[in-house]
Amino acid sequence: MRNVRNLILTIIAVVLFAFFLDKAPELLNGYWQRILNLIAINAILALSLNLIYGITGMFSLGHAGFMAIGAYVSALLVLSPAQKNSMWILEDIYPWLLNVNAPFIVSLIIAGLVAAFFGLLVALPVLRLGGDYLGIATLGFAEIIRILITNTARLTNGSLGLKGIPAYTTLFMSWSCLGIVLLCTVCMLRSNFGGVLRAVRDDEVAAKMMGINTFKIKVIAFTLGCFGGGLGGALMGNLITTIDPRMFMITQTYNVLMIIVVGGLGSVTGSLIGSVLVTTMLEWLRFVENPITIGSINIPGIPGMRMVIFSLLLIMVIIFRREGIMGMREFSWNIFFPKKKITDVGSKTETVLELENVKLKFGGLSAIDNLSMKIKHWEIVGLIGPNGAGKTSAFNVISGFYKPTSGTIKFLGKSIGGLSPDEVCKAGMSRTFQNIRLFGNQTVLQNVMIGSRIRQKYSWWMTLLPFVFTDVIKEDAEARAQAMNLLDQLGLDAFADEKASSLPYGAQRRLEIARALATRPRFLLLDEPAAGMNPQESEELMKFIRRLRDEFDLTILLIEHDMKVVMNVCDYIHVLDQGVHIAEGTPAEIKANPRVVEAYLGAGAAEGGAA
Amino acid sequence: MELNIFVQHFINALSLGSLYGLVAVGYTMVYGILRLINFAHGDIFMLGAYFVYFATIVYKLNWGVGVVIAIILTTICGLLVDRIAYKPLREAPRISALISAIGVSFFIENFAVVVFTGMPRPVVQPPILMKPIEFSNGVRLIPLGILVPVVAFLLVGALLWLLYCTKPGLAMRAISFDIETTRMMGVSVNKIIALAFGLGSALAAVAGIMWALRYPRVEPFMGMTPGIKAFIAAVFGGIGSVPGAMIGGLILGFVEIMSVAFFPTLSGYKDAFAFLLLILILLFRPTGLLGEKLEDKI
Repeated sequence: MRNVRNLILTIIAVVLFAFFLDKAPELLNGYWQRILNLIAINAILALSLNLIYGITGMFSLGHAGFMAIGAYVSALLVLSPAQKNSMWILEDIYPWLLNVNAPFIVSLIIAGLVAAFFGLLVALPVLRLGGDYLGIATLGFAEIIRILITNTARLTNGSLGLKGIPAYTTLFMSWSCLGIVLLCTVCMLRSNFGGVLRAVRDDEVAAKMMGINTFKIKVIAFTLGCFGGGLGGALMGNLITTIDPRMFMITQTYNVLMIIVVGGLGSVTGSLIGSVLVTTMLEWLRFVENPITIGSINIPGIPGMRMVIFSLLLIMVIIFRREGIMGMREFSWNIFFPKKKITDVGSKTETVLELENVKLKFGGLSAIDNLSMKIKHWEIVGLIGPNGAGKTSAFNVISGFYKPTSGTIKFLGKSIGGLSPDEVCKAGMSRTFQNIRLFGNQTVLQNVMIGSRIRQKYSWWMTLLPFVFTDVIKEDAEARAQAMNLLDQLGLDAFADEKASSLPYGAQRRLEIARALATRPRFLLLDEPAAGMNPQESEELMKFIRRLRDEFDLTILLIEHDMKVVMNVCDYIHVLDQGVHIAEGTPAEIKANPRVVEAYLGAGAAEGGAA
Repeated sequence: MELNIFVQHFINALSLGSLYGLVAVGYTMVYGILRLINFAHGDIFMLGAYFVYFATIVYKLNWGVGVVIAIILTTICGLLVDRIAYKPLREAPRISALISAIGVSFFIENFAVVVFTGMPRPVVQPPILMKPIEFSNGVRLIPLGILVPVVAFLLVGALLWLLYCTKPGLAMRAISFDIETTRMMGVSVNKIIALAFGLGSALAAVAGIMWALRYPRVEPFMGMTPGIKAFIAAVFGGIGSVPGAMIGGLILGFVEIMSVAFFPTLSGYKDAFAFLLLILILLFRPTGLLGEKLEDKI
């Protein structure tokens, strides 16, 4: 009901705005029309950079380069042969380029595609880098693109640039483009795929464990963002009608970055508001650079003052309101209306996990030395040992975060040694982390839904047009229902719409388990589930773990320091000390084992501690 | 290539490289401590050159006195930038400080346009530094070409002594290792960070002054490209490592000068080499030549 109402309101707003744009050429002078055009173009650029950076978390400073590509491709396609002939003065234009021509709309699409293609070329090598390094590498690429444009005069007319580009970017064109980009972006971000993008930003490690190939996701988001950059650049070129390489310096990227920071990183609404504010402000501030006459007093314009004021405003925003105007929130019609709320049975295999002589070395240091163990179906197995025994290392090897130096790991009869975490997850294994790794900025429900992404069949590009590919809507609805079901079973349903990071500690631990269960694992690894719990809470946890095993037909391996939990809940226990497997057996056997007691208490260290 | 031309290219590369190195050291110290790319560093470099211009040409001071005043003023500017734009953001996500840095860089550049105007200005070149010396085998050198690397190496040597042989240096290295723990050891972290900014700015001022002597002019955007290239040099050498920054700067200087010297047709692509070099090193040795390997803890 609410959705229908919101849809109707949206359509009314769009129709009203379209009507306004239709009348705009009569109502507004050239100056305001230009500002409106720039707002739309900047919004496209901001949305695309926000997709790369705000949503998916890749710090890219290369947008100006992709804008340049788009602007040049489009300009070269729409300029007439006669214009080209007269413009290439220093060197001759390539003959094949002289007669290439395309209608404006086609040129826009080609501009976007070429920029996306270059984006893909850049993404494949550099997205392996993270953080600031990625920013610098992308900045480098943008500069290289600019230098290439300057130096390939036969293709681009070099530093002279291109002049007399037809002013095809009308209000109708720029705002239609923005409308399409906005619709696709919103649809994609609302689908479960959008959740996956944010998950990659919030915690890449945890996303991998949800079966997500994070590298592929990043390449997709980056390439899509570059398409937007190319499109924006093309529209810009056809608005200003003159382009040259100096237009696309790093300053251009900073402008777009400013818009998304002012609006709020990761918020689509913020990008739109930011575009309106920053564009209007930048144009309005031009008055300080023009001479002003008040009565008989002449104040000469001060060149550079505009950017001085502007940069001061930016610094103030970042110091006093660093989350921007919208933070990560989005606009919703709901703010105008007051508020009024599965399990899988796998076939039984005897041995679920089998490790044989697994070794893990970091340089000369041996984290795990010759670990062999077998875990049978339906067992709850404990992995214990003093600090630094290699328990978490063992988890990381089993779940694919580390590649074993030698030895074999078999899971459900297949070798998984050396597979990546997402592949391990797809094979039917899931885990939690010692230091809880939730996608903190997303809701509880979204966290769990990301776990079901690996079972969804629709491709990422379908999310751009969910009305055409209705599978997206159908499968997301199923995922939502299953996630709600899981939350219900784990007693988290009341929190479904809360932000994950706002949950109390114990609930966060349960949510991490719910998220792991959403991938429908056969085998669950729990890394210190009782850490930080009081005795009563760990009591409940023990019951909870047994219930999990029964209800979800799981095999569970857990690391735990709380001996009471381990001894009570586990069917079988393995003990590690300094990377060496020193004992295994039932809880009673382990309690009576002198080597275990030594490892923990340190008595007779010469005998107990393996070198 | 004839010997005398090669020697000139060599000296040229050495002095350009050591200038990059000198600026890179400032980037590397701040990044090592705060994990912040101080985008404004290139503009601090520009300020150094401008202060000399004002002292010598506008106020007609002696060149030597002008240089000293310029270094002091630039250092103060560096400290102010830290105090106003970065210190309030110490606890904020790193990206906030980065955006603030971009804002500061914008601000300084455009403020310079307002105050100094965008016109390039001439520079006083002390005659003693510019008079060519002729050697018997035909090699001609100007003293400036030799002075630049000598000054640069002496300054970096002094900085290394400070880092490795004094208490503030020890504190600085400790902060780059773990800022919270260092704070708990009773070190006044903010003072040490300010020290890093001050030292970096002073070195940048020296580099800016010598840069202006090489290309005898100053203009508001002169710090942009050298700044980005020096940062690349710092990444190349392994960010956080002072000797690495110097080595990275020298390599960059040699690549730029020698590639154009041997392949004059590539001169248009000169600025692209730095970025190409950067991307290659990031792909094959992401933490640079002398950088330490960082692992994400799971």
